[in-house]
Amino acid sequence: MISRPEQDGDQQLRLLGDAWDKAAEHWRDGPARQFGTAQLTPLLQESRSYLEALRKLMDLLETAERETEG
Amino acid sequence: MTGIHADIDALKGLHDALARYRHAQRDVTARGEDQLTATRASLETKASRLRAQLELGQAEYTACQDRAAQADPDDPVDCSGHARAVQQDSERLEQIRLWQQRIDAEAGEFSGIAGRFADLLENDLPRMEEHLVAIIASLEAARRVRAPAS
Repeated sequence: MISRPEQDGDQQLRLLGDAWDKAAEHWRDGPARQFGTAQLTPLLQESRSYLEALRKLMDLLETAERETEG
Repeated sequence: MTGIHADIDALKGLHDALARYRHAQRDVTARGEDQLTATRASLETKASRLRAQLELGQAEYTACQDRAAQADPDDPVDCSGHARAVQQDSERLEQIRLWQQRIDAEAGEFSGIAGRFADLLENDLPRMEEHLVAIIASLEAARRVRAPAS
């Protein structure tokens, strides 16, 4: 079964979060905090918004296909 | 050695993860767009098929009504089956048209979010990666400077 794109996107988001957690264990100075707050957090938030919108759209497309079959 | 440079290694790991993320999410956005295009095409194919079927059904129904008008009252022609088929095809076609409209509306809203995300992948993420490269280079340079004194 082929996975839906937003599910793969969620998985990538988790992997990036894990990479950040791992980096943050060793990188704890001012630039690290600045990077996390000003760059990484907005990226993760924007990614979540996009993936949620994509999930809704994919649900809609699946339903449209199903409802118009036959 | 690993402990001393653990922060640099961690930053390199994060840099690689960001690059992988950018490529993987580009693929995700492309697949999303492909799915939207495929569903639109599929609905249009169904609509086109139904329009042809409806046209044929309407012609058969009209021919049946003509036969009914000329039929012997003692031997009436029943056109209710044709009428039902035309009605059902009309309803299905209308249902598809409504889904097409809804998908267009939702896709319109989605395109704003998708555009921002695409811009982030194309512009912001590479800048973040470059920023990390600069930080890594700066840390490595500082270690090289300090190394002889230690």
